[in-house]
Amino acid sequence: MAPAETRPCDQVDHPVLPGSALALLDDVALTLASAAGPVEILRGVSLAIAPGETVALVGPSGSGKTSLLMVLAGLERPTSGRVILAGQDLGALDENGLARLRRRHIGIVFQAFHLLPTMSALENVAIPLELAGARAALATAEAALARVGLGHRLGHYPGQLSGGEQQRVALARAFVAGPVLLLADEPTGNLDSATGRVVIECLFEEHARRGSGLLLITHEAGLAERCDRQLHLEDGRIVAERRGAPGQLRAL
Amino acid sequence: MDRGPLARTRARRRRSQFGYAVILARRELRGGIAGFRVFLACLVLGVGAIAATGSLGAAVEAGIRGDAQALLGGDVSARLAYRPSSAAERQFLAASGTLSETARLRAMARSLDGARHTLIELQAVDDAYPLYGTVALTPPQPLAAALAPRNGVFGAVAEAAVASRLGLKLGDAFRIGEAVLRLSAIIESEPDRAFAGLSFGPRVTISHPAVAATGLIRPGALVTYDYRLRLLPKGAGWSDAASWTRAARTAFPEAGWQLRSGADASPALQRLIDRVGFFLNLAGITALLVGGVGIGNAVAGYVAGKTAAIATLKCLGASSRLVFAAYFAQILALALLGIAVGLLVGGVAPALVAPLVKGLLPVSLRLGVYPLPLAIAGLCGVLTLLVFALWPLAAIGQVSPAALFRDRVAPAARHFAPLAAAGSAAAALALAALIVLTATDRRIALWYVAGALAAFVLFSIAGALVVAAARLLPRPGRPLLRLALGNLHRPGAPTARIVLSLGIGLSVMSALALVEGNLGIEIESRLAERAPADFFIDIQPDQLPGFEEIVRAAPGASFEQVPMLRGRITRLNGTPVEAAKVAPEAQWALRSDRGLTYSATLPEGSRLAAGAWWPADYRGPPLVSFDADLARGMGLGLGDTLTVNLLGRDITARIANLRQIDWARLGINFVLVFAPGTLEAAPQTHLAAVYATPAAEEGVVRRVTERFPNVSAIPVREALAAVARVVATIGTAIRLVALVTLASGILVLGGAVAAGHRRRVYDAVVLKVLGATRGALGLAFLIEHGLVGLLTALVAAGLGTVAAHALVTGPLKSEWVFLPAPLLTIAGVAVLLTLAIGFAGTWRALGAKPAAYLRNE
Repeated sequence: MAPAETRPCDQVDHPVLPGSALALLDDVALTLASAAGPVEILRGVSLAIAPGETVALVGPSGSGKTSLLMVLAGLERPTSGRVILAGQDLGALDENGLARLRRRHIGIVFQAFHLLPTMSALENVAIPLELAGARAALATAEAALARVGLGHRLGHYPGQLSGGEQQRVALARAFVAGPVLLLADEPTGNLDSATGRVVIECLFEEHARRGSGLLLITHEAGLAERCDRQLHLEDGRIVAERRGAPGQLRAL
Repeated sequence: MDRGPLARTRARRRRSQFGYAVILARRELRGGIAGFRVFLACLVLGVGAIAATGSLGAAVEAGIRGDAQALLGGDVSARLAYRPSSAAERQFLAASGTLSETARLRAMARSLDGARHTLIELQAVDDAYPLYGTVALTPPQPLAAALAPRNGVFGAVAEAAVASRLGLKLGDAFRIGEAVLRLSAIIESEPDRAFAGLSFGPRVTISHPAVAATGLIRPGALVTYDYRLRLLPKGAGWSDAASWTRAARTAFPEAGWQLRSGADASPALQRLIDRVGFFLNLAGITALLVGGVGIGNAVAGYVAGKTAAIATLKCLGASSRLVFAAYFAQILALALLGIAVGLLVGGVAPALVAPLVKGLLPVSLRLGVYPLPLAIAGLCGVLTLLVFALWPLAAIGQVSPAALFRDRVAPAARHFAPLAAAGSAAAALALAALIVLTATDRRIALWYVAGALAAFVLFSIAGALVVAAARLLPRPGRPLLRLALGNLHRPGAPTARIVLSLGIGLSVMSALALVEGNLGIEIESRLAERAPADFFIDIQPDQLPGFEEIVRAAPGASFEQVPMLRGRITRLNGTPVEAAKVAPEAQWALRSDRGLTYSATLPEGSRLAAGAWWPADYRGPPLVSFDADLARGMGLGLGDTLTVNLLGRDITARIANLRQIDWARLGINFVLVFAPGTLEAAPQTHLAAVYATPAAEEGVVRRVTERFPNVSAIPVREALAAVARVVATIGTAIRLVALVTLASGILVLGGAVAAGHRRRVYDAVVLKVLGATRGALGLAFLIEHGLVGLLTALVAAGLGTVAAHALVTGPLKSEWVFLPAPLLTIAGVAVLLTLAIGFAGTWRALGAKPAAYLRNE
C-alpha cells in the first residue's frame, strides 16, 4: 500500500469536477434552531467521495457527523452550500424528489437498525425494491438476506431477531436496490464486538461486491483504518484527513 | 377494640404511605396533562350530558309544579266525559269556590260557501275562564270582548291554522255546526293548553251561548266538560286541594269524574317529561360508557409511557402498592377535574337550552342548581372511571424493576390481575345499581343495563374478530398496503377498541334507520292502502239513514259503522282501579275514557283468544269482550268483572271472552265490546269508517258535513301524518342518543389516532429514508383508517340489522324489509369520519422531518 499522502483539505476539495465524484459537498453549512438560539452544526464542510471509495468519518460526539450524513442523504437541507449526488443537485429537488433519489442511489444503515416492526425480515428488505416498482422484489430480497447469512430467518419479525441479526437485515435492505452510495451511522454501536465484527465483514463484503461508495461513521479506530480515507470532524469542520492506512493524521 | 402495638404501627405506616403517594402523584403531575386531553374530554362529555339532562328535567319539573295552577286552569279540576254535571254535582262545585265551566269537543269548521272545511277542537268557555293566567290574542283584547256577539253574530277566537285552512281574515264569518261565527282574534297562547299528546285539529274557542247555537251538543256527543275551581280557603270536609278531591270523591262516588289538583296538574306532560328525561339520561350514560373506552386507553397509554419511572421507583424500594396509589391518585385527581368541569357544563346547560324549548313546553323552566342530578352525574363519572381505569392501572403491579436492565424487547404478556378485575366488576355493579335505582322506569333501566353489557361484549368480540381477520388476510405485495393492513393487527393496535367505541353509536344509528324505514313503509304504504279514508264521529241515530245514502251514492265507496259510547273503567273485579295492580303497558286504558260499543257478532279485525262469543240473540246479565293484552296487564281472565262508568252510572259486566285485536288494520277497533241487551237504551252516537278513493272521499266529506253539521270527519291521512310525526319525534330523540354516543366514539377514535402518533411518525420516517414519497405514505395511512372505518361500519350494520329485524318483527309486529340505502349512508359517513380524523392525526406525521428521529439517542 502506498505511503500516506497528506495535503491540505482545501486543496482536495477545490475545485472538484462534478463528473468525477459520486457525491460532493461544497462549503456546506447547517444551522439549526434550538431553544437556546441557533446552533451551528456544520460550518463550511467540503467533501468529495469517488465511486468505490470508502471514507470513514470520525470525531467526538456532537461534532456534526450524523448531520453531515443526513445532509448527504437529503434528509436535512443545508443552510448554505451545495450537495451533489449522482450528478444531481439536491437543492433542486423537492421532498418527493429526494425520496426518489434515495430510493435509486442511496442505502443507509443506522445504529438503531430502524426496521419496521410490523413487517418480516423479508418484507423489510423488499421495501426499497417494491417502492421502486421492481419485479421479483421478494426473490431479490430473499437472495440479499441469504448473502448476509439470514436465509433461514425470512419470516421473522424484527422483535424476534437478535441485534446483530436485525442489523444484518438492515444491511441487506440498504444494499438490495444496488445503491451507488452506502451511508452507515455507527452500524456496530448497539452491538457487542463479536457481533459487530460479523456485521462489519458483511458490510465490507457487500461493498466490495457492488463497488459502491461508502461513508462510515465510527468511533472504532481499527474500523476507520480499514477505509481508504479518514476524515476527522470537530465542531462542524473537517479538521484533519488521513489517506491510506496506516498513516499519519495530518492536522489542517 | 384494643389493637396491638404492631397493628398500630402498621396502620400508621399505611397512613404515611398514603401521604407519600399523594406527594409522588403531585410531582408526577408536574409533567403536564397533555396526554389526558381525550380522558378529560370523555369525562366532561359524559358527565356533562348526564348532569345537563338531569338538571333540565329537574328544571322542567319545578316549572310544572310552579305553573300547576295555570296548567290545570284552577286549584282543582273535575273532568266529566260525555255528560255535563248533574244539578247536585254542580251545586257542590259552585259551593267550593269560583267555578269556571268549559266544554270541549271535536267539530267541523266550514267556510261560509262550504268549499273549505277543517276538523277543529272546539272549546266553549264561560266568563270566569281563565281562572289563572291569560289568553293572549292578536289583536290584543280581553277574551270576553272577543267572544261577545256583535250584530247578532257570536265572536270566535281560533289558532292561526284555522284561519289559513278556511281562508279567513280577521272579522270574516264562518260556520261551526248550525251557527255562523265571526273570527274576532287569533289565539297566541292559552294558559291551560298543556301537552295534549296527539291532537288532530287546531283550537277554536267560543262562548257557551255560541256553542248552544251550533247545535253540536246533543245526547251522546263526544263532549268533555271541565269544571275548574279557584277554591275557597276551606269548606265542608276539606281544607286544601288534596282533601277537596277526597271530599268530592266521597260525596259522589259514582260521578265517574276525573279529579285533579295541582300536584298532578298535567299527568300527560309529567309522563312525557319523565320519559324524555329518562331516555336523554340514558343517552348521557351511554356516552359516558363509550367514553370509558377512551378513559381506559388514556390510562393504559400513560402507564405504558411511565414504565421506566415505575421501574425506577421500584428499584429505589417503593412497594407496588405505593406506586399504584401514587398513580391512582393522579388519575383520580384528573378525573375529579374532568367531572367538575362536566358538572359545571351540565349545570349551566339548562340555561342555554331554555330559549330553545320555550315554545315546545307549556311551562317555563325554573332555572337553578339542582344538587340531586348533579350528584348522580358525578357518581356516574367516578364509577365509570373505576370500571375502566382500574385494569390498566393494575399493570403498574406487573412492571418489574428488572425492566431497567433489559433491552426494550416485546412487552411481557400481562398476567391476570384478580384485584383489579374484582374492583372493576364491583364498580360496574355499583354503576348498574345507580342507573336502575335512579331510573323512573326500572324495568327499562334493567333492559338498558343488560343491553349495554351485551353491546360491550358483542363489540369486543367483533373487534377481536376484525383484528383476527386482518391478521389472516393474505399479505398484500405492495409494502404500503401491507403497512396499512399490518397496522390493524400489530400488538397494541387500537383497532378492537375503535370498533367497540365507534361501533356502538353506529349500530344504534343503523338499527334506528332500518326501524324508521320499516315503520315508514308500514305507515305510508301498507297502512294507507288498507286504512279507511275518513272516520265520521257523532252521527246521531236518526242521521244514520241519510249518512248511508250519501256514502252509497259515491262510486266505489263503502263503510262500516258501529254504535259508540264513552265510559271509564272504574273497577277491576270490584277493586277501584286506583288500588288495582296494573302492568305499565296496560295503564293507558285506565287513564281516560274509552270508546265502547256493543255487538251481536265478533267484530272484524278481531279474533277470539279465549272464551266463546255470545249468541246473537243474547239477553242476559251484562257480558263484555275485552282486549286480551289489556286483560293480561290488568290480571283479568274469563269470568272476572269489569265496572265501567257510563254517564255517571256504574255498569258491571262479566268478561265472556278475550279478543286479539289487529290494531294495524286501522279500521274500527274497540277494547271493550258489550253483549247486546245492556247499552242499547243509553244515549249514543255512531262511528263510521268510510273507505273511498281520494276523489270520492272529498265529495262524501263535503256532503255529510253540509247535511249534518254536527258530524265531524277525521281524515285518516292526517291521523297517519300525526302518527308519522310522533314516530319522527321519537326517531329524533333516539338519533340524539346515537349522536352523543357517536361523539364519544369519535373522541375515543381521536385519542387512539393520537396515541399511535409516535409509531406512525417512525414508520413514515423509515419509509421516507427508503424512498417513499409523501403521497404514497399518506395513501397508506388513509387505507389504514378507511379500513378501520369500513370494518366498523360493517360490524355496526350487521348488528344494527339484527337488532332492527328483532324489533320490527317482534314488538312492532310488522313485516321486515331490508333497506340497504340508509346502511350505505351510515357506512359512508363512518368511513369519512375515520378518514377525516385519521387524516387530521397523521398529517403531521407525514411532514415529520426524518433527521430528528434518526439520530442516535
